[in-house]
Amino acid sequence: MRTTAFLTDSTLCIGCKACEVACKEYNDVPADGYVFTGRSYDNTLHLGHSTWRHVAFVEMDTALGVGGNAGEQITWSFVSDVCKHCEHAGCLEACPTGSIVRTDVGSVYVQPDVCNGCGYCVVGCPFGVVDRRPSDGRAFKCTFCYDRQRDGEQPACAKACPTQSILFGEIDDLRAHAQQRLDTLRSRGIDDAVFWDSGHTSVGGTHAMFIVRGDPEAYNLPANAEVPTIYLRDGWRSAAAAALIALAGTAAAFLARRTTGIG
Amino acid sequence: MSTTYYDVQLLKPPVWTWEVPVYFFVGGAAGGAAIIGSIAEWTGTSGHLARDARILAAAGAPVSAALLTADLGRPARFVNMLRVFKPQSAMSVGSWTLASFSATTTGALVPALTTVAGPTSAALGAVMLTYTGVLIGATAIPVWNQNVRLLPVHFAASGVASAAALLTLMGHDDDALNDIAMGAAAAETIIGAIIETKRSAATRPLRHGPTGWVIRAGGVLSGPLPLLLRATSKRPGWRRAAGAMALVGSLLTRLGWIAAGRESAKMKG
Amino acid sequence: MPGLGTSFGRGGATTAQQDLANADAILIMGSSMAEQHPVAFRFVVDARERGGTIIHVDPRFTRTSAMADLWVPLRAGTDLVFLGALINYVLQNGKEFREYVVHYTNASAIIRPDFQDTEDLAGLFSGWNEDDHKYITDSWLYDGLQTDGSSSEESSSSAHGLWGKSRGGQPMKLVPEHRDMTLQDPRCVYQLLKRHFARYTPELVEQWCGTPKAQFLRVAEAYTAASGPDKTAAICYAVGWTQHSTGVQIIRAAAILQQLLGNIGRPGGGIMALRGHASIQGSTDIPTLYDILPGYLPMPNFEAGTHDLQTYLQQNGTESGWWHNTDKYTVSLLKAWYGEAATKDNDYGYDWLPRITGDHSHQGYWLEMDDGKLEGLFVFGQNPAVGAPNSRLERRALSKLDWLVVRDLVEIETASFWYDSPEVERGELRPEAIKTEVFLLPAASHVEKEGTFTNTQRLLQWREKAIDPPGDARSDLWFVYHLGRRLKARAARDPRPRNAGLNALTWTYREDGPIREPNAGEVLQEINGRTTADRTLVGGFRELKADGSTECGCWIYSGVFPEPGRNRANERQSHDALGHGWGFSWPSDRRIMYNRASARPDGSPWSERKKLVWWDSATRQWTGLDVPDFTPTKAPDYQPPKGAVGDDALPGDAPFIMHTDGLGWIWVPIGLRDGPLPTYYEPLESPLANPLYPAHPTNPPADRKERGDNRYVPVGDERFPYVLTTYRLTEHHTAGGMSRHVSRLAELQPEFFAEISPALAKAIGAEHGGWVTVASPRGVVEARALVTSRMPPLEVNGRIVHQVGLPYHWGSRGLVTGDSANDLVAMSEEPNVRIMETKGLVCHIAPGRRPRGRAANAYLESLMRGEHVAHHRVSH
Ligand SMILES: Nc1nc2c(c(=O)[nH]1)N[C@H]1C(S)=C(S)[C@@H](COP(=O)(O)OP(=O)(O)OC[C@H]3O[C@@H](n4cnc5c(=O)[nH]c(N)nc54)[C@H](O)[C@@H]3O)O[C@H]1N2
Ligand SMILES: Nc1nc2c(c(=O)[nH]1)N[C@H]1C(S)=C(S)[C@@H](COP(=O)(O)OP(=O)(O)OC[C@H]3O[C@@H](n4cnc5c(=O)[nH]c(N)nc54)[C@H](O)[C@@H]3O)O[C@H]1N2
Ligand code: SF4
Ligand code: SF4
Ligand code: SF4
Ligand code: SF4
Ligand code: SF4
Ligand SMILES: [Mo]
Repeated sequence: MRTTAFLTDSTLCIGCKACEVACKEYNDVPADGYVFTGRSYDNTLHLGHSTWRHVAFVEMDTALGVGGNAGEQITWSFVSDVCKHCEHAGCLEACPTGSIVRTDVGSVYVQPDVCNGCGYCVVGCPFGVVDRRPSDGRAFKCTFCYDRQRDGEQPACAKACPTQSILFGEIDDLRAHAQQRLDTLRSRGIDDAVFWDSGHTSVGGTHAMFIVRGDPEAYNLPANAEVPTIYLRDGWRSAAAAALIALAGTAAAFLARRTTGIG
Repeated sequence: MSTTYYDVQLLKPPVWTWEVPVYFFVGGAAGGAAIIGSIAEWTGTSGHLARDARILAAAGAPVSAALLTADLGRPARFVNMLRVFKPQSAMSVGSWTLASFSATTTGALVPALTTVAGPTSAALGAVMLTYTGVLIGATAIPVWNQNVRLLPVHFAASGVASAAALLTLMGHDDDALNDIAMGAAAAETIIGAIIETKRSAATRPLRHGPTGWVIRAGGVLSGPLPLLLRATSKRPGWRRAAGAMALVGSLLTRLGWIAAGRESAKMKG
Repeated sequence: MPGLGTSFGRGGATTAQQDLANADAILIMGSSMAEQHPVAFRFVVDARERGGTIIHVDPRFTRTSAMADLWVPLRAGTDLVFLGALINYVLQNGKEFREYVVHYTNASAIIRPDFQDTEDLAGLFSGWNEDDHKYITDSWLYDGLQTDGSSSEESSSSAHGLWGKSRGGQPMKLVPEHRDMTLQDPRCVYQLLKRHFARYTPELVEQWCGTPKAQFLRVAEAYTAASGPDKTAAICYAVGWTQHSTGVQIIRAAAILQQLLGNIGRPGGGIMALRGHASIQGSTDIPTLYDILPGYLPMPNFEAGTHDLQTYLQQNGTESGWWHNTDKYTVSLLKAWYGEAATKDNDYGYDWLPRITGDHSHQGYWLEMDDGKLEGLFVFGQNPAVGAPNSRLERRALSKLDWLVVRDLVEIETASFWYDSPEVERGELRPEAIKTEVFLLPAASHVEKEGTFTNTQRLLQWREKAIDPPGDARSDLWFVYHLGRRLKARAARDPRPRNAGLNALTWTYREDGPIREPNAGEVLQEINGRTTADRTLVGGFRELKADGSTECGCWIYSGVFPEPGRNRANERQSHDALGHGWGFSWPSDRRIMYNRASARPDGSPWSERKKLVWWDSATRQWTGLDVPDFTPTKAPDYQPPKGAVGDDALPGDAPFIMHTDGLGWIWVPIGLRDGPLPTYYEPLESPLANPLYPAHPTNPPADRKERGDNRYVPVGDERFPYVLTTYRLTEHHTAGGMSRHVSRLAELQPEFFAEISPALAKAIGAEHGGWVTVASPRGVVEARALVTSRMPPLEVNGRIVHQVGLPYHWGSRGLVTGDSANDLVAMSEEPNVRIMETKGLVCHIAPGRRPRGRAANAYLESLMRGEHVAHHRVSH
């Protein structure tokens, strides 16, 4: 099958949360709590075991703003976040059971029937996406609607998006489209739009790409996230050293005492 | 300061509760014991010490497994840990290590198998001592991955120290054992100093707040204090006291580091 | 929708959502389209991507504002100042589309000399009758016309396009006898309009709406610049406009603006009335309203003396224009209902129709209920205990009924009022003391039954049944059909005359399956219409007859089921940008109404860029990209011969074929109860007096329904110094029955909140995220404070006016609960459609939670006694 991806273009997002709802409805994801946060209109706040699409709401007093609003008055921007389906996925690398696999469409998928809830993927994800659901004990995250994709359907969230803010398609096409889109936006005077896909770090790019305005970190899209496997080399190196020292040291201790013992 | 989304934490905190740090402690001790056991055997120093160390290691293995299982969201699926072997997953490496470690440590108790199982269990014990450092070091949690080099050494020292401590408390008074304990305590002292002096945003939880104090307490109890006691006197009472301290210190260290991880996830990495 | 009905002839959105993508500018006002019509909003986004300018005028900065090129705030309730100033701007700067205005509107018509404007009478039009607080509207007529001089009480139905004015005797030929095509005559509509709006200046906008003059001018320039022969601009509105005591006139102002700019009947133009519930357009077409029959035929009115069919047809039929066919549609409707029993001799059963004998609107009958005058009530698909104005009064009124039947998907507050309403908590209602017997019946949801929705653009779309209804749940069709069956069975055994109509009623539909579900397709065929002789389906309303040989359940829908097996509502092959081939858009699948106006008087398109339908001189037919809203073969130069009637009486350059004169009505000579032109009045409750008409601050004929349990405070009352407005959130649906009970939605907006500005929060000492107590003379509620600069204070008339915003979705039941904003809203009636004013009232707000139990009412009374008057004097 072809390699698919998301391009979520926040400049087209109206903050309707249809994606968030469609995801829950289609995947039958349980409620994530009924808490008024006061964080603008965002009451789910982050991705998690029971929120696989999350729409961020950022109110600003000036600066940002579409077209005529720019620089003049308050603005309100919306960004629909989702599992990044990393090229080098920390969660997948970490998973000891092989529950997390790379699918033939390039997405990262947690097999619920294999997961034993060890929780290692949770600390393996540099984007704070996957999490263990206390009520269930297993880890959950966006499935990229793999079952729908198998049936030739687009993911539920993309399908529900009324403004094509969530584009779904072949990853290279979307990358190309993103560049054109940035040019269009610049030509319309929106020059603070940026493309985000963590391509420059060890993550090696994501299958969920974004166009946002201003600083991506303002929407919890980190600038320099790294896949944790890069720490393995150093880790095992010093592990080996430590192991040798432990063995050698212990041996030395006994040998030393033995000789003195005889003498 | 970098922008955030309403200061909502980006990273998910580790889901592990007390079982995992305690497993680190037990597994470490068992690993250390296995080494002491088989090397004591091999150098033919003390039969009693070797035997008790072996028993410790053999007993520690199943306890470790039990603790690990208890922490799983789906304990019934512990066996899935051995479904695949993934070198790039420290958790996978660890699971296989623990499994074979249990096998060899028990095997080592059977006279017929000792010659083979003994040394193997020592080698595996060395992995048991250190891999947990890699396990948490190779994650997205800043305070852990910033210390990925230190952690295996730290945990190895902690493990050896607790093994020696346990044997001391079991009444063993060999000088070799005491040297090992002192070596470990010395190592812990240096590591403690490094932690105190290494100042970066990511390592704050190691020095500040409750986690800071747990780590510090763990450090002092497993480093300078036992070292001082053992250095200043050969009296068994003093050595046992040092042992007790090292044990508590080692436990606090493991608890401290996991707690620090939870704190660290809250901060921007 | 009388604003549109009287202006253009039909009470529906003039355009299609898809067509918004063709607009060069879109003014969204009185709606938060991105939030309440997200799917339709995609076409607004398309327009923006194509370079169109999106303008949002709203007291709050909403999700719609975030997508707009221009957001402009205004004080809630002052839209008519803003729109009046836009009209004035067009007239003063000669921005109007002259040729369009002259030929296609009644701007040139001369008005009766005895007409006097609000500018002459300090806020009243001529014809005001102080005794019954109504207008006698004769002086508003075209010069040379008159009526019998009775007041316009009965003209409610005109509201919907057909003007049912009592004229005992002959249908009047409502055509301007004198027109001044130069628009110079001081008594022509154009000049009257100019004079009427002369005082609506950018300065007044700044002073009264609180909208900075510069921002207003940017809107005026951007919008007018986007109109003309090769440009068009559209207006989208919803209940931010309608739910005012001047709601209809606000929409009228938009209609006038669009006519002046030549934006009606053209691609990318029009007025997009964004309707509410999935089929709310359908429920005015085939009405759940008390004053009209299907297809906007007026309901017989007792006072109007419409006692027999002849009088009814004389009163409501017209000599010229499409409504000349009133007889065909009325008789065909009666035949559909009474079948064989409907004969020429018995007026086709006309006598069996009910008569309007008073105010049977929601507020009207609910107040009667409160007075104990109602025995029982059916509530289908409505939750008045939360959604209706002065919901406290409405909940208490329910306890005065003998019986109440609620059919819903869940147990809503309307069904549970007797044991878990705030009134019970406050000791006002004691469950054991309530006599009302409540029947809660499970209703099948839209996915559990088949049938059509008529959406906001008059588009009928057929819906298949996805799953069977669970348990005892049944469709409303099932319930009404089987209830009817049983009632008929009883009536058959009871020969009293009152049962004659029931006995005559045709009530035979195919029953499907074990639950005996009536066949919805057959109902749609009855609506489409058939010949009575051989029951063959008619192809459209042009085939309907007045001699009883045809039957038709709703003439405007005729053509939706033209032949057996062809349900056009169920067609799904869209083959052009306007969506032809997908569903059926009444009338006759026209997507953009009045589209004759998209061509010049001579029949050629105004411009290549904006062509839609045009006259093909080769085939001598109207043709183009839409179904012509015009007699296909009527040439542009056609002039009616002497004595011609109906459509033949209209010339070939008269696009508004429903109207007696074929013109767009900038001036409404008949059919509205509060004026031929829109005039600015303050909301019934306002912190400020009316700058233009101090003597008449509020809409004179508006009915306040003022009484003990529906109190008001006077203008500028210190006790309630803040402007309050209410609205929706995307995450919820209206009174919450479909959202508060659904986890996926409830968790997205779990708590009732009040949007206030940082300045107001500071002034009253409220904390973001903390509690505030909001009160009006009707009630008191508590909500979380959502402090945001999206709710800016405005400088109005030299002082700072703070506005408080409340979404109204919460109630006492569901996964998330909260107080109902409607406890604060008054039961009032706009004169034409009797709608309440939810968008502009006043309130008091203080930090902290509201008192519990009886103390809550005590608190309200102490407020009324003026004990908590805000000490920080509101000023700058
Ligand atoms: N998600 C969702 N969609 C819905 C509904 C729902 O409940 N939820 N309800 C449906 C129904 S029944 C309807 S009728 C429509 C209603 O659709 P809308 O009319 O768009 O809904 P509202 O939010 O009530 O009001 C729209 C805007 O009017 C503004 N407003 C308030 N007072 C004034 C004023 O005086 N002047 C102006 N210019 N603006 C003012 C409010 O700030 C608000 O932003 O939505 C339909 N769609
Ligand atoms: N303050 C304030 N008040 C307002 C408004 C406002 O803007 N501000 N807006 C007003 C407007 S525009 C409207 S439309 C009203 C809406 O107010 P209501 O109509 O009273 O409230 P809804 O929640 O829409 O009620 C619809 C009910 O029908 C049920 N239902 C859904 N499908 C079916 C079905 O197929 N059959 C049956 N029998 N029931 C079904 C739902 O569960 C729901 O309980 O609120 C009005 N009130
Ligand atoms: S974002 Fe996190 S959970 Fe998603 S694929 Fe990447 S590492 Fe895995
Ligand atoms: S929790 Fe499940 S998915 Fe995550 S690492 Fe463990 S086994 Fe794999
Ligand atoms: S792809 Fe599917 S699972 Fe992932 S967010 Fe979208 S709807 Fe949810
Ligand atoms: S559905 Fe589309 S427009 Fe709506 S919030 Fe999600 S991404 Fe934005
Ligand atoms: S009518 Fe239905 S589809 Fe359209 S916006 Fe409302 S909920 Fe969405
Ligand atoms: Mo509505």
